[in-house]
Amino acid sequence: MNHDPQHRANEEEIQPLSLHKIVRIAVRGIKVRIWRSVLVVSGIVLAMAFLSYILCSDAFARNVLEYGSRDLIRHLTAEGIINLETIADQRVQTYWVAGLALLISLAGIMNAMLMSVTERFREIGTMKCLGALTGFIMKLFLIESLFAGVLGTTLGLIIGFGLAYVEGYFTYGGEVTALFPPLHLLLSILFCFITGILLTLLGAVYPARLAAKMSPVMALRSEM
Amino acid sequence: MNPQQDTHPEAFNVNADSSELGQTREKDPAIVTRTLAAPFVVRAKGLKKIYKMGEETVHALNGVDFNVKRGEYISIMGPSGSGKSTLFNMIGGLDKPNEGRIYIDDVDIASLDTLELAWLRCHKIGYIFQSYNLIKVATALDNVMLPMTFAGKQQAEAQDKAVYLLEQVGLGDRVLHKPLEMSGGQQQRVACARALANDPSIVLADEPTANLDSKTGEEIINLLREINEKQNVTIITATHDHKMLAVSDRIAWVRDGRMDRIQERADIKITKGEMHGI
Ligand SMILES: Nc1ncnc2c1ncn2[C@@H]1O[C@H](COP(=O)(O)OP(=O)(O)OP(=O)(O)O)[C@@H](O)[C@H]1O
Ligand SMILES: [Mg+2]
Repeated sequence: MNHDPQHRANEEEIQPLSLHKIVRIAVRGIKVRIWRSVLVVSGIVLAMAFLSYILCSDAFARNVLEYGSRDLIRHLTAEGIINLETIADQRVQTYWVAGLALLISLAGIMNAMLMSVTERFREIGTMKCLGALTGFIMKLFLIESLFAGVLGTTLGLIIGFGLAYVEGYFTYGGEVTALFPPLHLLLSILFCFITGILLTLLGAVYPARLAAKMSPVMALRSEM
Repeated sequence: MNPQQDTHPEAFNVNADSSELGQTREKDPAIVTRTLAAPFVVRAKGLKKIYKMGEETVHALNGVDFNVKRGEYISIMGPSGSGKSTLFNMIGGLDKPNEGRIYIDDVDIASLDTLELAWLRCHKIGYIFQSYNLIKVATALDNVMLPMTFAGKQQAEAQDKAVYLLEQVGLGDRVLHKPLEMSGGQQQRVACARALANDPSIVLADEPTANLDSKTGEEIINLLREINEKQNVTIITATHDHKMLAVSDRIAWVRDGRMDRIQERADIKITKGEMHGI
């Protein structure tokens, strides 16, 4: 069949599955599995809220130190809120906590995605029997996880940032809002956003690829 | 893709309206003549399949030769673990043998790349499984439409045909039900309709009645027979179910990964006592 040019014409029939159609199938999938979707998204929200809270509150602290007025820093030092002598140690500590937060979100998000894909191995096997191409399955899971990733990360960021802001407000006072340009804050938020979406995609794409590449029999056999 | 349907215009001929297939045929007359000329839809030669589980190796298939005639209803029978499902999976292009060749319409499926294999699964073969394997979150209609979507059929056309097929299997009033809202027998009917979606030449059914009670199982068997007769689709089932004997044109008895013997239906009546000795 490889060398039979007549078959090329036939293959074309299987290729055109427009992105639009795949998005529709993906959205339908999310909707009907709404509680599963909510669970997955809440996993991402929780992980990202934690990570972004740690990073944002660190960013607030750095903003205060770097852009805060002398008066503010003198005041905060006098109150014992910041201690310029131990600040280097505190920095190291914060890095540890941030690293830990990153690991936790890595585990949390990957776990949520892995579960939601592996429980659908059978479905993937079935779709392959019906003539689905690996590319279709990859796109389907990519789109579904992109929705979950963007939504979960955004919500998580809002929560994490909000908590850090409230904390900063009570620690450093109202001046926290006036501390612009909030370079560290922007960087932290950007970092969280990219990390969240990347982890979500990775967590979905890896198992989906595994399932899409395996023989339909193996995918069908997995009882999850 | 079943040119013989042309000789049965009065039949349950759902692809009469399929312009897509018409086009394919025009572009591809060689396939039609070749397909018509080939007496066997499936030819398997020297199939071997070995499963390795740690130290242990299981010879699930041990050199099976097996031919399936176009348009026949053939049942693969044999004790549990004899290799029926393994053979089924090889024929369906769902798994690869360690040795041996399988030809579907004279095409060696080992020579197909992934795209061609997907095309084969989509257009030439319809699958029916013991556990139905419907997409749980989708309605009966969407389940039947899915293979047509993969085949690139227009939405409206696919929908009309899916409704028609569901009516044919007696589920005209269950079109928008989800699998979990249906009985096992109804789910298997949806699976039958789905298997026919792209007018395959072969329908493969692995223990289609194993999860059903005797009466429902019989209904599914009769439905398969009806599909076989009206649509001239080749049906290959792997089964334990002795009710299948009555409708099969031929029975292939598998034992310990080997083809024991192949019987015509006429011969079975004589040796009926043997059935119970399996
Ligand atoms: N994925 C696998 N890994 C290891 N061994 C396997 C695998 N699949 C099948 N086997 C072995 O191959 C042999 C044949 O299995 P197969 O499923 O084809 O039997 P079967 O005739 O369909 O049985 P049943 O009637 O119970 O469905 C069995 O001994 C089984 O243990
Ligand atoms: Mg079996």
